[in-house]
Amino acid sequence: MEENEILEEPKQYIVVKLDQEQYGIDISFIDNIVRMERITRVPKVQSFFPGVINLRGEIIPVMSLRNRFGLADKEYTNATRMIILKPENGAKIGILVDEVREVVTLEEENIEKATRDEQGVNLLGVGKYKDTLISLLNIQEIIQELDNA
Amino acid sequence: MDLSQYLEMFIDETKEHLQNLNDQVLVLEAEPDNIDTINEIFRAAHSLKGMAGTMGFKRMQRLTHDMENVFSKIREGKMSVTPDLVDVVFKCLDAIEEYLDCIINTSDEGDNDNEDIIRMLNACLDADSSSPAPAAPAVSSASADDKASSDEASAPADSAEDAKKKFLHIEIADFEKNAITEAKAKNLNVYGATVYIDENCILKAARAFLVFKGIEGIGEIIKSVPGVQDIEDERFDFDFSMLIISEKSLEEVKKVISDVSEIKEVVIENYEAPSDSEVVSSVREADNKHEDKKDDGKKASPAKANAKPVANRSVRVDIEKLDVLMNLVSELIIAKNGLVSASSSSQDDNKASMQSFNEQIEYLERVTTNLHESVMKVRMVPIESVVSRFPRMIRDLSKKLGKEMELIMTGEETELDRTVIDEIGDPLMHMLRNSADHGLESTIDRLKLGKPQVGTIQLNAYQDGNNVTIEVIDDGAGIDVEKVKASAVKKGHITEEQAEMLSEKEAIDLLFRPAFSTAEKISDVSGRGVGLDVVKNKIEGLGGDVEVSTKLGEGTKFTVRLPLTLAIIQALMVEVRDEKYAIPLNSIVTIEDIMVSDIKYVQQKEVINLRGTVIPIVRLDEVLDCPPREEEPENLVVVIVKKGDKQTGLVIDNLLGQQEIVIKPLGKYINIPKIISGATILGDGGVALIIDSNSLV
Repeated sequence: MEENEILEEPKQYIVVKLDQEQYGIDISFIDNIVRMERITRVPKVQSFFPGVINLRGEIIPVMSLRNRFGLADKEYTNATRMIILKPENGAKIGILVDEVREVVTLEEENIEKATRDEQGVNLLGVGKYKDTLISLLNIQEIIQELDNA
Repeated sequence: MDLSQYLEMFIDETKEHLQNLNDQVLVLEAEPDNIDTINEIFRAAHSLKGMAGTMGFKRMQRLTHDMENVFSKIREGKMSVTPDLVDVVFKCLDAIEEYLDCIINTSDEGDNDNEDIIRMLNACLDADSSSPAPAAPAVSSASADDKASSDEASAPADSAEDAKKKFLHIEIADFEKNAITEAKAKNLNVYGATVYIDENCILKAARAFLVFKGIEGIGEIIKSVPGVQDIEDERFDFDFSMLIISEKSLEEVKKVISDVSEIKEVVIENYEAPSDSEVVSSVREADNKHEDKKDDGKKASPAKANAKPVANRSVRVDIEKLDVLMNLVSELIIAKNGLVSASSSSQDDNKASMQSFNEQIEYLERVTTNLHESVMKVRMVPIESVVSRFPRMIRDLSKKLGKEMELIMTGEETELDRTVIDEIGDPLMHMLRNSADHGLESTIDRLKLGKPQVGTIQLNAYQDGNNVTIEVIDDGAGIDVEKVKASAVKKGHITEEQAEMLSEKEAIDLLFRPAFSTAEKISDVSGRGVGLDVVKNKIEGLGGDVEVSTKLGEGTKFTVRLPLTLAIIQALMVEVRDEKYAIPLNSIVTIEDIMVSDIKYVQQKEVINLRGTVIPIVRLDEVLDCPPREEEPENLVVVIVKKGDKQTGLVIDNLLGQQEIVIKPLGKYINIPKIISGATILGDGGVALIIDSNSLV
């Protein structure tokens, strides 16, 4: 039901990279994209939370998408970005990605529905853009999983 | 009209009126003849009725209406205050509160008609009224009804003339009716008049104004239709009606009016109040109008933007506090301008500009600190808003339990942060109920023991440094430690051997265990074992603590300590490896330098002997999962923290100094461990976590 709704009209997605894999994030969830900042470690929290950052006076937890998806840690580089997500009716959360590539617009016919990929990542579908495939992340669900965890 | 935006205000004001009514009725119970109190109750009931009517809460309106009737009777001296009546009124207040709760939760008053309470109210009216007044809704207007009907015969029956007497259709509210009744009592004349202005008149408003002015010279206008404002703004056709009180004769008044030029016709005659049913409906309408106006005026108030449906999150702020804030903000702007000018002049003379730069920064610092403090003060609310409902509660408990008791409250003006205030009500209520039910002995037992017949419960609040202390003291039986132990053993909380080992203090702490109650019989006041552990959890959740001291046979004292505010605290900044942490200063006792060789072991746990006291120590680096140190230094810095009487040493790497910190939540999603109570932002933009030392002691 929710997927139908989302797939109805062309939407814009921000394409991010983890290793060679491309993921798309619905642009309406994105509050902000910032460069790497100092992350303060918080002891004894979920392993995929490297810590918290101060974003203009607000303390926001930062999740490593790599760790969340079961990928190994990787050195932060100049290309590493924090994407601050603001889900509907939810608090802000930052996610760490290796690289932010571009913004793409996907028509419905270019999206193939899927709910999970091989690693069990919660997806909305897989989008075809030019010659590449983009796994569209189901942000609402991914964040919801945190609440239940 | 969309009323939802007023709902919040309605709830706020209804709460206030209810509180006021509760207080006043308590006073009334003690002094049944206090006319000021009766008036106050009448006014509050009247306002409630009007407000409920405006919002369309019919059931609530009906109940308050009947209550108002009762007090209007009392006010007129036709009825006296009896204990039964007070009970009914309290029931009535409870019912209103129920409506209010329902409104808060569902935006609707629910469908409880509370017929029995209304019947009881009317029964009071019937039973007690000396004159045979009917038990109809509007008692006060019943007498007006009689007058109106008796005068009916004398009214002229000229129908053509009647159509012109538009003043007959003026709706009057009861204060106007009162004015009319009063005027008649003083032998003044009350006239109704409808004035027709010449259709060719250009300045209608000016003519009407002259009419008003003329009448004001010889009497008083109690009402005009349309209203004065509308007439001034020329929002009327060619006629307007009014009610006039004057000592002059009909002819004289008529002459005054018709003397104004361009007046076509004046219809005037003696006026009588309309009959009963009309009055009631018009009263209602007048009230509505009155309330609307009031609401409109307040609509402009800020901080109400995108108000959530019914949740009440508003703070009433003393205007002085806002003034201070305003001043500080203007100073901030001045300081900023100073910096701007200092930076623009920096090319000229480097040294001098550096100095003025520093001056400006110091100034800025001072202003921001003050600003901070003031904003915090705005969040402070006197504790009165919570405790004011307790006298009523104790009164009810006293009746219910059949014990005589009184509540003495001091320090209601002590201020606490709004967030704390919101949470503290229930725990305090639990403690008071506990004192009333378990603490105080029954009246008979008290007399046997030679204690004063009336038991006393004290509720004291006062500020103590960075804390606010609230004490609940009763002069009852005190806690029987042996009984507590026995009960704990029976319930399987501890074994008998453990019980023997317990100190008195530890035994009393058992009371705060879940599902623990020593009351032999379970009453519906307390004793279901869901009291004190909830109290303790709630208070600790607020960053405070509870202590109990007791003396068998003399009484019990519960001491609750709460932080003044949750949002800003003084903290000691420390370093563990390369991470910075804040430890709240109010929990710190001392800071000690300890030789590693001085550490002893008790039950495989590290302790130190500090001036004769054995204190367990906790290595923060281990608790916080920091990487281990390469080599153990000879000296350790230990911060000694306390919780109640217990102390613990926290081993840290470095002291950074004291700082005022703003507490920020760590955000959702992240499972924060118990030892971290929040975070703060440092001067360099970094984040430091705040250690909840209570969880380590």
